[in-house]
Amino acid sequence: MLRTNLALSNHSVPVGLCACLGWLAVLLLSGCTDPYLPAAIKAPPSYLVVDGFINPQGISSIKLSRTYAIGSALAPPPETKATAYVEEENGPRYTLREAPAGTYSSAALALNPAKKYRLHLTTAGGKEYASDFVPDKLTPPIDAITWKFENSEFRVLVSAHDATNSTQYYRWDYDETWEIRPAYDTGLEYTNHALRFRAVPLPRVCWGTDIAKTVQIDKTTSLAQDVVAEHRLRVLPANTERLFTRYSILVRQYALTKEEYAYWDLLRKNTESIGTLFDPQPAQLTGNVHCVSNPAEPVLGFVGAHTVTEKRIFIARADLPAGTDPLSGYEKCIPPEFVSYDVPGETIAQIQERVLGKFDYLPVVEGKHPLTGEIGIFVAVPNCLDCRLRGTVAKPSFWP
Amino acid sequence: MLLGFTGYGQQAEKAVSGTFAHMRFEQFVSQLEAQTNYRFYFDSKAVDSLFVTLQVQNQPVRAVLEQALQNTAFHFAIDDENRVFVSSAGIINPALPGDFFQPKAATATVVQAEEPVAAGPTGRSRLVSASEYKVYEVGAGGEAGSKATLAGHIRDQKTGEPVIGASIYSESPNIGASTDQFGYYSLTLPVGRYDLKVRGVGIKNTKRQVVLRGNGKLEIEVEEDVVQLKEVVVEAEKDKNVSGMQMGLEKLDIKTMRQVPTAFGETDILRVVMTLPGVKTVGEGSTGLNVRGGATDQNLILFNDATIYNPSHLFGFFSAFNPDILQGVELYKSAIPAKYGGRLSSVLDITTREGNKKKLAGSGGIGPLTSRLTLEGPLLKDRSSFIISGRASYSDWLLHQLSDKNFKQSAASFYDVTAHVSHEINEKNSVYATGYYSTDRFRLASDTTYHYTNQNASLKWRHNFNNQLYGVLTGTISHYDYDITSDSNEKTASQLKYAITQSNLRADFSYFPNSRHTIDFGGSSQLYNIAPGSFLPRGDASLVKPDVLAPEKALESALYASDRFDITPRFSLSVGLRYSLFQALGPRDVYQYTPGESRTEASLTDTVRYAAGKVLATYHGPEYRVSMRYSLNDRSSVKASYTRTRQYIHQLTNTASVSPADIWKLSDANIRPQVGDQVSVGYYRNFKNNTIEASVETYYKSLRDFVDYKSGATLVLNHHIETDIINAQGQAYGTEFFVKKLTGKLNGWVSYTYSRSLVQVNAGTPADMINGGRYYPSNFDKPHDFTLVGNYRFSHRFSTSLNLNYSTGRPITLPLAKYYVGNSLRVFYSDRNAYRVPDYYRMDLALNIEGGHKVKKLAHSSWTVGVYNLTGRRNPYSIYFKSVNGQIKGYQLSIFGEPIPTVTYNFKF
Repeated sequence: MLRTNLALSNHSVPVGLCACLGWLAVLLLSGCTDPYLPAAIKAPPSYLVVDGFINPQGISSIKLSRTYAIGSALAPPPETKATAYVEEENGPRYTLREAPAGTYSSAALALNPAKKYRLHLTTAGGKEYASDFVPDKLTPPIDAITWKFENSEFRVLVSAHDATNSTQYYRWDYDETWEIRPAYDTGLEYTNHALRFRAVPLPRVCWGTDIAKTVQIDKTTSLAQDVVAEHRLRVLPANTERLFTRYSILVRQYALTKEEYAYWDLLRKNTESIGTLFDPQPAQLTGNVHCVSNPAEPVLGFVGAHTVTEKRIFIARADLPAGTDPLSGYEKCIPPEFVSYDVPGETIAQIQERVLGKFDYLPVVEGKHPLTGEIGIFVAVPNCLDCRLRGTVAKPSFWP
Repeated sequence: MLLGFTGYGQQAEKAVSGTFAHMRFEQFVSQLEAQTNYRFYFDSKAVDSLFVTLQVQNQPVRAVLEQALQNTAFHFAIDDENRVFVSSAGIINPALPGDFFQPKAATATVVQAEEPVAAGPTGRSRLVSASEYKVYEVGAGGEAGSKATLAGHIRDQKTGEPVIGASIYSESPNIGASTDQFGYYSLTLPVGRYDLKVRGVGIKNTKRQVVLRGNGKLEIEVEEDVVQLKEVVVEAEKDKNVSGMQMGLEKLDIKTMRQVPTAFGETDILRVVMTLPGVKTVGEGSTGLNVRGGATDQNLILFNDATIYNPSHLFGFFSAFNPDILQGVELYKSAIPAKYGGRLSSVLDITTREGNKKKLAGSGGIGPLTSRLTLEGPLLKDRSSFIISGRASYSDWLLHQLSDKNFKQSAASFYDVTAHVSHEINEKNSVYATGYYSTDRFRLASDTTYHYTNQNASLKWRHNFNNQLYGVLTGTISHYDYDITSDSNEKTASQLKYAITQSNLRADFSYFPNSRHTIDFGGSSQLYNIAPGSFLPRGDASLVKPDVLAPEKALESALYASDRFDITPRFSLSVGLRYSLFQALGPRDVYQYTPGESRTEASLTDTVRYAAGKVLATYHGPEYRVSMRYSLNDRSSVKASYTRTRQYIHQLTNTASVSPADIWKLSDANIRPQVGDQVSVGYYRNFKNNTIEASVETYYKSLRDFVDYKSGATLVLNHHIETDIINAQGQAYGTEFFVKKLTGKLNGWVSYTYSRSLVQVNAGTPADMINGGRYYPSNFDKPHDFTLVGNYRFSHRFSTSLNLNYSTGRPITLPLAKYYVGNSLRVFYSDRNAYRVPDYYRMDLALNIEGGHKVKKLAHSSWTVGVYNLTGRRNPYSIYFKSVNGQIKGYQLSIFGEPIPTVTYNFKF
């Protein structure tokens, strides 16, 4: 019920006082939180959203979509069948091709770092849009990805520097991957009203993935050197199940212009702390893309031009310091539930049909209950047995 | 009824003879009066069970009375006018107290009795009532038809403290005056005989009979109204609503404020001010006042004349003023006197008590979050006194009792101390000194500690030149600072600091040339010194680059004069002019920008360096203060006013509510002063013998050049803040309906306000504009507002208070749609303040239980038991949106979402 995004950036000075006040109030007084859904939110506008950047040394990939209802659980509606190209100021154009729907990609480019570039696109509806021309930025390499346990948290930290003092504004995103091992192995399945040996065994290992959902930016303009020292990129509970077997994080770094940094900073403020009395007024944020025929039409997104550097680390269970005790994620599955076959007036088949046929249970194993000695069957919900419900079964190419 | 029996035609004193067998005292007295020229005064009710059995032969009156009253609870006293006062309230000294009447060198004075008035209220000590029956002859040599000025102080008989805002008036002709903050009054009347009535807040009604023959002085001591009866308050203001000159003025005394229930059981001056018409706030946990559509920085908050920059504790849940030391508060929201300036919307003048001049006394209270203690007493009896009062919270301790680790790491504490000393050097000169210190420190689960402090001192010297002219010289220093410390990462450990110091010197004079004119004039000058921000590393390992903004300095001066002129008894006019001058001073680097373009770092063209003391920008202008009153009849009047105000200091805040990290910024070469104009008209009418006051006031206000911010403005540590600031225009208008009944068992007030407050930002480039440059509702635009504050007194010891509040919800900017950028969910917002949060409604109830009123009791105590938000309505304190698995959901947080019971214990010794 409380907001948890309290982390105040150490570099930027907190202007608003975040929701702390609510915290105290909630605590000392009988504060309470209720859902709030006014009518205004139910009829959302549909504006064009441009997501991506121009990569001067590689493939530029731009996603086009539309704004939609905030309460919707669906994926964003893609903007398909548009024509798009990257354009050099007073120079050549590089066409982008759509694949899959809504994603437009260029060939691997090698653009002139001295020039300025922009994105130009025409939607299937015939409307023409263009971003502002922006200079190329060269992203320095990531110095290190480190991690530590602190304050009951597991923290992934990124460090970088630019000896030429020309980067100053940084953005990161990351992909996390971790191994999942289900609580039980089963050789049984219940199909066609009968318990039988499993034709295809369930996978013994899966890989969970997650992507950065918060804007991770930092600037070094207040420091004497262009050095990012252990920027806190990812924070998880100290006993996170992602560390149970093996965990990996791929960090991508982008150098930003001051304007693009300001855009992301505003985006972060707008999205991550909004609405309370002590948060700043949300800004009317649009970015640097404009509708050519109707400049008043809001278009969302900022198309910058910069290279990408990346770094991946692995953390195996054995690397963790003594005393760390990650959860398996299967704590609720143990022990399995037991169904006795000794029910007066019911056959074993009827019992199996009642439990495995009508309810969403999977068989684990048949046998004797360790305490009562009854004969029966151990069952569990699918989430305890089938790791595909928590991740993918395809082993990532980078996994050791 | 106090009856007077008068003997007729008996010039020589006679002895008394007679036999009185179980005779009623009244009968006994009438026989005595028949035989002598003595006249008796007593409370007939008090003596109705007193019988006299006595036999005397040619004995003097004194001896007869001694015999008659021995072994009874009654005492008597005889003055040199042969008047006998009989009472049970201790030995009476019919001679006037030494300072009761201070003859002036130039004006011979005689006190002599004439026909006493044979009626008076019951239930008061005989000492004061005795002085009601005296006739004071003041001055000498005045010819019939000429005028004379009577002046003096009205003081509390028990504590010697001045009574502020009391009225002294003659009913025929209808001429009156009220006491100023020193308890001083000056009344110019044609020579002649008057019954001067005295009414005041928290005092019992009294009167003085005066034969005015020339200029003279009359010191008046009045009794405190011990039981907190509302009657008094009413009487003070009795017909002020209609006959007073002021409009848009709200006065509250501490006793009225004590009756309003609060969330934490402690009297909170700013919370009560918020119940007045025309005053709004964005949220319950905020002490920021929005007066008639003005921003929170447009209120001049004065604490014994020193400016307070942050009037709140604990994020705004408490106001920073200890109720025990307060005398009262005056809020000027339309016709602001010429004496005051520097803020656009209102003046909130908070005054402290002077302290008991007669004996040492104390008081205190214990509440759920704070406790307070006050000590006061004489330094030199009747001439100087002190009062010191402190208050501290134990919220820190509470936090540590909680099991949640985050809360254990948190800290939130505050305290404040106020001390006041007053000294009367002689009858013409008095000095007053006040010191104030308040501080807050909090850290909430995070590693960032906030800390802020208010420090104020004021010194005042008051000199009476003569009965018609006095002057006050005031020097004040106000200091406010905050710091934010972060220690978590040693490489980025830092401290941010801000400080403002304001030194003010002012001279104010009041001149009463005759009964038709009251002239105020004076001047003031204040020097601002601001350290606008420093960001410094903490510890040797810190990589933080020190960043210190250049200090700001400025001088703000003003001269003013105003005349209140009673053109006819029905028509009065007050004309005032204030001329203010603001000079921003060096040393300073001033940036210059390409004219006509939006100010950005890119449009910066030049930097001009000004040496120390050099003036880098000057702004000045007149501020007009005009008001008039026309009485339609005894019970109703029409008033109108026009006020212009100028403001040279701006609070930079990007949040809807006031936050401790807000910055005060002076006008400079790039930031113009704010200017406001307000026109208001009102109709005032009293009903039921002045016991019910009603008024309707309508206003229109225009505000120019107040500061608003570009989207995503950086307000802290910005070396060129002008690039992030835009000038906004505003307009506000509204109508306030107010009905007040302050007498009787049932009393209180009801107000309804319809008002709008709109902002427009259409300067600069289209990107700078907000909502396309159209007018939009300000953060505190709440059109409908209804308040009821009611008290019902069951007995002297029990009373209940009810508080009802309704207002339109404040405007909000809503997330209208979502979209994905950079793999994650983003939000598209509506135009600024295009929607509103749900309406606000709250009801509070309190029960006040007074201890017994025995004079001998060691300590007087009272309990306040209350329930805040009785209906448990979940008023949104804050509305926020949170993303849960890609779905954005809105939530409203109600901090006082349930009925909150409180108990507070107060004591006095």
